[in-house]
Amino acid sequence: MKPASLPLPSLRLHWLSFFSLLLLFASCKVHLVSNYDAVLSDEINTTAKKVDNFYLSMQEIPAAKRQYVNFSNSYIDIEVDLNSLVTKNRVRPLNTESTRIAEITLQLWEKYKEEHKKDNALSDGLIKLNKKTLSDMFYAMQVAEEGKRVSNKSNP
Amino acid sequence: MPINFDLKDTFDEMLSSAKQSAGESGKEARGVATRFLQNRKERLQLLAELRLAGDLNDEKFKSRLEDEKLILEAELKAMAVISKSSAQNTAQSVINIFQSAVIKALPEVLKSTT
Repeated sequence: MKPASLPLPSLRLHWLSFFSLLLLFASCKVHLVSNYDAVLSDEINTTAKKVDNFYLSMQEIPAAKRQYVNFSNSYIDIEVDLNSLVTKNRVRPLNTESTRIAEITLQLWEKYKEEHKKDNALSDGLIKLNKKTLSDMFYAMQVAEEGKRVSNKSNP
Repeated sequence: MPINFDLKDTFDEMLSSAKQSAGESGKEARGVATRFLQNRKERLQLLAELRLAGDLNDEKFKSRLEDEKLILEAELKAMAVISKSSAQNTAQSVINIFQSAVIKALPEVLKSTT
């Protein structure tokens, strides 16, 4: 028995599907991370330089003169910058990773500050280690920020 | 009015774009991971030197090893941003290709309405 021939899909149906797809994708923007922030990237660089300068300057001072009180203002100054980085990251949507990196950097900075305060001294070796650790943290922070630049290429 | 839309060609183009994007970000992620590992090696070397020289007592040495866990967490978060960013880039490119293929297939009279 010959099967009954099905009616051909009408052109109207074709166009309807076509427009539905078009409308669906026309408004479709994929967002998994926050947008790249050039100003914040500059601030990360500036703070990283301040920390570098802080430890390099400290290295130039004889160990016997490295009492905490001689550096407390610089500690506060840098902590203010780090707090600002945490806050600026926190308010951005889809930015939990960068926020956490900034929080860890601040946590380590506070810890090293307290160590210096408690011991009232800092050896050359510890300066080198603190400087290296914080420099690596700023590198991670920059990697995260620059990583967002990639996503901006197709989704400005 | 026939629709001039080749789904196979469009999908091929989408696939090729996704592969290219994944390849580029894979290279970037490998470079960053290598740098992270190198940094870790340098820090641990320094840490060992300071412990052996007596600059760090046992308590502080252990405390610094705890810091390494936090640094690793931060590095993994940075890698996660690269992955997410790459996935976003890939997904958006694929959608853009599909969208432009559909618009291209539209007759001139309808293009002005989209």
